[in-house]
Amino acid sequence: MEDESSNPLRRMSSRTRKVAPKMVAALASSDNRTQAMLARLEALENDNAGTEVGDLNDDDEASLDDDDDDGYMHKKQSKSTRRKTRQAKALENARKAPRTFFELLHEANLESLPPHIPSYLRAAVGPPSSTSRRHFCTVCGFTATYTCVRCGMRFCSRRCQNIHNDTRCLKFVA
Amino acid sequence: MTGVVVLDNGGGLIKAGHGGDLDPTTVLPNCLLRPLSSKKFLHPDPLVSPSAPSSAAAAAAAAAAAAAALDLTSAAVRRPIDRGYLINADLQRDIWAHLFANHLRVSTPSCSLLLTEPPFALPSVQRATDELVFEDFGFKSLYVADSASLVHLYEASTSPQGLVSKAQCSLVVDCGFSFTHTVPVFQNFTLNYGVKRIDLGGKALTNYLKELVSYRSINVMDESFLMDDVKEKLCFVSLDVDRDLQLARKPGQDNVFRCTYVLPDGITHTKGFVKDPEAAWRYLNSTDESHLTSGGTIIDVEKPESAEDRKRIDLTKNEFDLTNERFLVPEMIFRPADLGMNQAGLAECIVRAINSCHPHLHPVLYESIILTGGSTLFPRFAERLERELRPLVPDYYQVKITTQQDPILGVWRGGSLLASSPDFEAMCVTKADYEELGSARCRRRFLR
Repeated sequence: MEDESSNPLRRMSSRTRKVAPKMVAALASSDNRTQAMLARLEALENDNAGTEVGDLNDDDEASLDDDDDDGYMHKKQSKSTRRKTRQAKALENARKAPRTFFELLHEANLESLPPHIPSYLRAAVGPPSSTSRRHFCTVCGFTATYTCVRCGMRFCSRRCQNIHNDTRCLKFVA
Repeated sequence: MTGVVVLDNGGGLIKAGHGGDLDPTTVLPNCLLRPLSSKKFLHPDPLVSPSAPSSAAAAAAAAAAAAAALDLTSAAVRRPIDRGYLINADLQRDIWAHLFANHLRVSTPSCSLLLTEPPFALPSVQRATDELVFEDFGFKSLYVADSASLVHLYEASTSPQGLVSKAQCSLVVDCGFSFTHTVPVFQNFTLNYGVKRIDLGGKALTNYLKELVSYRSINVMDESFLMDDVKEKLCFVSLDVDRDLQLARKPGQDNVFRCTYVLPDGITHTKGFVKDPEAAWRYLNSTDESHLTSGGTIIDVEKPESAEDRKRIDLTKNEFDLTNERFLVPEMIFRPADLGMNQAGLAECIVRAINSCHPHLHPVLYESIILTGGSTLFPRFAERLERELRPLVPDYYQVKITTQQDPILGVWRGGSLLASSPDFEAMCVTKADYEELGSARCRRRFLR
């Protein structure tokens, strides 16, 4: 029992030590921190947390099964003219898949419009007038006075710092 | 029946019904679901079924619906709308086909359609929408309205003596599922140079709550619908965040914000619920006073009950507590910067929208702010907004914020009014027009 309880602890600590130097170097730069933050904001618009990719793949297969009757006929006909490579299949899937809003936005090329025409991009409200930002403890939610020196997340007390270090530090994805 | 289908195609909920009616026939989530029990994506159950007028019958119908309802635990979701705009037309086609056939029971070629669309839809999105309406469903004619002018129309009609209808001018704050827009409306037309947008809506708030709860108590990252329910039932807007944070720190029963949400166990109840609703809402009374004097009496009443509850927590572990999350989540609409977004809050958004209009409109716009959209349903939303807005507005202007009777249905009701007006048909683009001119030129008719 004692071995079992102590082993995972030791393993965990060795793991963080192993990973930490590289991660610290990477995350010390503010670029990566902003990137992690943007990724988090992006995640706020997700429908299904985490499993999105898997779900979509599953569904593609399911929908293929559904309409396989006529789809299969087409495939049979086209087989004679063109060999179906894996790449071609992937391309076709990519074409069929619904595109994200940002792809459509990029395609619409709204930057090229003259500045007096209101558009999606110009309708965004823009940065706040005061730069002061309140920080809440990432562990318990209260006003946070301290910043983690390794990853930049906020915490409010020693207790929360310990929890942060054990669970979340340098992981970024909750 | 006028033969006009009014469709408020929101990112979260579709509100659909017949033009001229008072309320939409059906309100259903705009998505397909795959519950754990199923391999296929299914259509969700409507929130408002064709309801019986008497409350008893409605309750019976609701009970029957609840019994037959899908178990939404860990259901995967697919939505045709991303960030407010229609991106997956195939999925939307499925949902609409189901809607028209099973809920509205209309044959589309003999109907006109009034459809809402968010401001600044991309041309490709508009083209996809037009194709869907005319080519897939073959509607006789189409009118694309923007939601703000419909809300304005509805508000103007409900109070003919009010400022909104006299000045024909209002500022519509639409805080919906995908994003928040502040839109100045003048003479029933949206002033599109004044439209301002915050990229935060109900979906982001739900996901934020999910993130917080998953980190702090139980992993609920897959439970979108459950957390929607938690958000709707328990979240509120704080009037003084610093003070409320202090209050939320108190231990045990002194903490007026602490409340417990019970997760569904899949056997006795398939929907989650708030454990002690009265206790969950007691902050409404107690925080009005500066000190928690009334809290003392409540403690005595609840103590035996809570002791039992404590035991139950240890046995089943199927519930979680919320304290400061309850107001920190809606707080993000007022301060998106706290999340790390480089966007101004709602009050500033309103000021910027108004400042981009003609100065003569400013006093009227400040006095006719209309709140609509599901995310404005948080308790004290309007109160907080007024407190934030007042210091930003010159003191010679009045600030008046109007809340809608039913913010979710406000847009639809405006659409229903418009569809029943005599010159509606003249405003539409017909199928013949579309076939001759194509999407882009038809769109010019809607003046945007």
